[in-house]
Amino acid sequence: MPGVTITDLTKRYGDVAAVESLSLQVAPGELVALLGPSGCGKTTTLRLVAGFLTPEAGEIWVGDRRLSSATAVVPPERRQMAMIFQSYALWPHMTVARNVAYGLRFKKDLSRADRNRRVTKILSVVQLGGYEHRYPGELSGGQQQRVAVARALVIEPQTLLLDEPLSNLDANLREEMRFEIRRLHEAFGITTLYVTHDQAEAMVISDRIAVLQKGRVVQVGTAEDLFQKPRTRFVAEFIGRTNVIDAVAAGPDSVTRGSLRLRVASADLKPGASVTVSIRPHQIALASGSPTIAAGEPNVFRGTIERASYLGDAVDYEVKVEGGDAVFRVSAPPTLRLQPGESVVLSVAAAACVPLTESD
Amino acid sequence: MKAIPADRSFIVWVGAALALVALMALPLGWLAWVSVSSAAGPTLAHYLAVFTEPRLQKALWNTVVMALWVGLAAIAIGAPLAWLTARTDIPGKRVIRGLVLASFVTPPFLGAFAWVMLAGPNAGFLNKAWRAVTGFEDPLVNIFSMPGLIFVVAIYTFPYVYVMIANTLELIASDLEEAAAILGGSRAWVAVTITLPMVAPAILSGFILAVLQALALFGSPAILAMPAGFHTITTQIWSFFQYPPKVELAAAFSIPLLLATALLLQFQKMLLGRRGYAAVAGKSGQRRTIPLGAWKYPALAGALLVMACAIFLPYSVLAKAAFVRAWAQPLTWDNITVANWSFTFFEYSATQSAVLNTLELGVMTATVGAVLAALLAYIANRKIIAGHQVLGFLALAPVVIPGVVLAVGLFIAYTRPPFVLYGTLWIMFVAYVTKEMPIGYSQSDTTFKGIHPELEEAARGLGAGRLRVLREITGPLARAGVIATWCFIFIGVIRELSASIILFTPATKVMSVVIFDLKEEGQFGAISVLGLFMLAMTFATVVLVQAVLGRDFMGARD
Amino acid sequence: MPRRRFVTLAVVFGCVALLASTASAQDARLEAAKKEGKVVWYTSLALPSAEKVAKLFEQAHPGVKVEVHRTGSQRVLQRLMQELGANIRNADVVHTSDAGHFVLLKEKKLLMKYTPAGVDRFPAGFKDRDGYHYGLRATVSVIAYNSKAVSAAEAPKTWKDLLDPRWKGKLVTAHPGYSGIIATHVLALANLYGWDHLKQLAQNRLMLVQSAADPPGVVASGERPVAVNGAEYTFYKTKKKGNPLEIVYPKEGVPLIVSPSAITAFAPHPTSAKLFTDFTFSREVQQVLADSEGLYTGHPEVTYPTDKPKLSELRLLTVEAEELEKRNEEIKKRFVEFFGA
Repeated sequence: MPGVTITDLTKRYGDVAAVESLSLQVAPGELVALLGPSGCGKTTTLRLVAGFLTPEAGEIWVGDRRLSSATAVVPPERRQMAMIFQSYALWPHMTVARNVAYGLRFKKDLSRADRNRRVTKILSVVQLGGYEHRYPGELSGGQQQRVAVARALVIEPQTLLLDEPLSNLDANLREEMRFEIRRLHEAFGITTLYVTHDQAEAMVISDRIAVLQKGRVVQVGTAEDLFQKPRTRFVAEFIGRTNVIDAVAAGPDSVTRGSLRLRVASADLKPGASVTVSIRPHQIALASGSPTIAAGEPNVFRGTIERASYLGDAVDYEVKVEGGDAVFRVSAPPTLRLQPGESVVLSVAAAACVPLTESD
Repeated sequence: MKAIPADRSFIVWVGAALALVALMALPLGWLAWVSVSSAAGPTLAHYLAVFTEPRLQKALWNTVVMALWVGLAAIAIGAPLAWLTARTDIPGKRVIRGLVLASFVTPPFLGAFAWVMLAGPNAGFLNKAWRAVTGFEDPLVNIFSMPGLIFVVAIYTFPYVYVMIANTLELIASDLEEAAAILGGSRAWVAVTITLPMVAPAILSGFILAVLQALALFGSPAILAMPAGFHTITTQIWSFFQYPPKVELAAAFSIPLLLATALLLQFQKMLLGRRGYAAVAGKSGQRRTIPLGAWKYPALAGALLVMACAIFLPYSVLAKAAFVRAWAQPLTWDNITVANWSFTFFEYSATQSAVLNTLELGVMTATVGAVLAALLAYIANRKIIAGHQVLGFLALAPVVIPGVVLAVGLFIAYTRPPFVLYGTLWIMFVAYVTKEMPIGYSQSDTTFKGIHPELEEAARGLGAGRLRVLREITGPLARAGVIATWCFIFIGVIRELSASIILFTPATKVMSVVIFDLKEEGQFGAISVLGLFMLAMTFATVVLVQAVLGRDFMGARD
Repeated sequence: MPRRRFVTLAVVFGCVALLASTASAQDARLEAAKKEGKVVWYTSLALPSAEKVAKLFEQAHPGVKVEVHRTGSQRVLQRLMQELGANIRNADVVHTSDAGHFVLLKEKKLLMKYTPAGVDRFPAGFKDRDGYHYGLRATVSVIAYNSKAVSAAEAPKTWKDLLDPRWKGKLVTAHPGYSGIIATHVLALANLYGWDHLKQLAQNRLMLVQSAADPPGVVASGERPVAVNGAEYTFYKTKKKGNPLEIVYPKEGVPLIVSPSAITAFAPHPTSAKLFTDFTFSREVQQVLADSEGLYTGHPEVTYPTDKPKLSELRLLTVEAEELEKRNEEIKKRFVEFFGA
């Protein structure tokens, strides 16, 4: 099973660069999600990998084959890939079985009996056994999606490409299918690129996530890496919710903003430099009351609740910090029900205050 | 929106609906009645004559043969051309589309006439050139023949096929073809296993449309078939009006034509009803074009050859004949003259009144037709009265009636009391409005489908009555579409021949009839002048439509 | 006063008075015609000729327009009858080349009895004995060929020559269903040689055109080198224009077609109609018809061009108007039966 290597990939439309010097390495058998808002270039990247587009610069290698470069592109039918589309792209004039078997026709040494066997097998894997003679028009959205998956997997491709395959499903089905796709990936182990704009989906499904912004990869890592250690404001805000504070470094491991003083998860800040700090809402501890706080004690502050939203499994508070303009969003367990106007004490561990090392 | 009977706008709606019924039910009813009536009471003798007299049988047979071959030829030309412009990297796509459009709006009888000058077996330019180059005695082509007729009709009918197939190809989601490609299908394999089956209903539908057009044509058979000694149904019906007229036979001949057309249209509807095949486009952006490689220029040459036959050659020969003394003589300085122009417009007394009549009828029909169509499309789209679905059906129904048949029905209905419209422009007005209603309605339908009802509901919620909303909200939004409708109808009217040729009187001639009269006299110069004039009017209107709509003429119509 | 002088003066006075009265009668008619404004002319005279006559009338009678509606004889009748069927009275003067039409129209009492000035000197064949219609012009139906494509030696000389298979695909005929001239021609030949002649002729795969004025164009352009019928005056005009066309007047006889003209009984502009009719039968206009249009006329004072035969030099085949009217359907039916359309 080969991996996919993308180097310095660039694709321009007129003056606009949809993808700009994008580089990414996908290890053999790995599932990497391409995550980002619309217009970030994730679909364009996927289509470049698929061979539907020719890059202006850069290269795409699968294993030891160079498949795309500015001068030569191997056509999609010879890249030994499979793609699952957002609309599933099932052919309405063919039965499920013929849809799934389409790609098998191009494998030279398969007899018809072999093909049929493989089709039956893959259909049972995706839990659509017995649906061979149905037409796509007769199936539900979720079933159509599984046919699309079956069609892609049955040919045992070297690379699997998915283009927001779950976007057309309703919320519950989407959740269910996330796990299904993950399960299939673990069973088959195909090198996979998965495009999505939904960060929860990316976090569930992928081995690693590549966050794209304006045609470039801004950070690659596991879900945990991206969540705990975002490198830019964009990544911090895109993955999960966060509080972003612009402050000034006061020492190698602390920053100030007005009267606010924070110990942060770093040891080599340059005093005087401007630093942006990201703090996840659920990592801030909230206690009611307004005890006196020793002046200067880091990461503990008094504040007043401005807004409280009950979410069932948590309460989302907006707390205005005393003595400044900072407003923190805090996520607290529902056991504590505080009202706007009440005084609270916030405290957060230094490790949870992540300085963003790169600017957007 | 449910109907509120107390609303005074209700009357407006009902009136429009009734007008429709009157326009169509009356002539068809008379037609059916006359076809079975005789001095001795109801009889089937006329139908018997139609189906047993050898001469009439031949006309029937000729028509069937011609229409079927035209359908096949139209597909043979239109389908590859559509595929080339929609799916490959053939150069000059805009030019090709423009030329297909030009072929669309060229009246077939003008094309037929031009082809007489090009391919008359002895004097036609192509044949002369052929003889000069090869030294053969026999002509290359004889346009006065069934194959000649089929050819000329096909080159002006294939745009219907082209539009159907090109639009369907656009609608097919590109990811359906990409999915096949990435699974291993070569471009040719994908085209055959995926694209072709999905486009098949459109191909069949285009075939039917082309056949329908061919069935209803009068001018081309009159120009090409009659000199060769054979009739089609339309020319035969027309000849029944020679003195003494045999209107009952004309009626009896019309009904089978009407039924055939209705059947074909029903079949076509069934085909298009399987919408599942034309899936709305998926997310993917630009479609991959198929590179033609070495075939690029041969394909372009082929496309241009088609266009040469439909546009370049005929228009050139018309231009030449308009400016020379003797059309068959070479283009030399002493052959050139503007005498044809002065004769046509100043000496030939029929021209000026015919041009005025045509313009008058064109404007009247287009205006009334556009308003009526808009009203009906609005009622149908907003479901304002009960039975609104029937309205849409009725508005489109006239497409079933060939022009000649409609004219016979109108002739019968309106040459007797209480409404004797024959001899006035009104009878032609009625014919034109009825005949152009389908095209007007489908364009208006598209327009109103594009205006969301919520825009109107918002105004009504604030207190505006239905008519006010129509005037202040819907009207301005629908304006471009209504203007386009107007133009479509106008173009249809100025080139209409098959109904006009039956309904006109010397005092109510229109341009197409004058051209036909001149043809019977062999006045090639005058015909070419008038023909060019008619084409100029048509193209001016086309330009207007494109300016108003801001998009391709043919993309707007289905 | 001496008696002789008195008589002379009286005669002179009388003549002046007569002249004055005719002149004023003429002026009165013109005034009335101007009030009517126009005369509507349904005619089968070839288009350029018809328009020319119309222009001449308008120049001589300012204020009165001529509305020319020109089409083939059979169509003229068709339209006239169709209009009447719908109670439309549009036509003032009717003029076709199918004498049978006028038998029909007279029978149906659709014609006005009017004798144009000076027509009493016309030969009998140009006058209706009851005074309803008069022959405005005459021509014969002839063979014509393209002199560039066919030499004088090879050219057909008789009607029978046309049956020769070597003319297959090279002949053109006009249509009796459109043209009165051709209807007359067909009947004349059927009377001469029987219907078989026509049937055999059809084996040569003729090209069909409609108007008797169409074959000249077809022959001149070379589309079909030989025309088997057609109005001699149109062939003559085409030849005069410099086209390579020669006319053959078969020795067996050429069908003579006298084209009557009449005023309708219901004419909406009767005075203009009468003025127009008088004008077209006047010597001046009849001479124009002979000079520039190549027609024969009934007017005894008209002189004809020297480069074409006089009527008296030709063997003429005539057809009775009543026969033409009675057998009109048969003519058209047979023709279509043999030629297909």
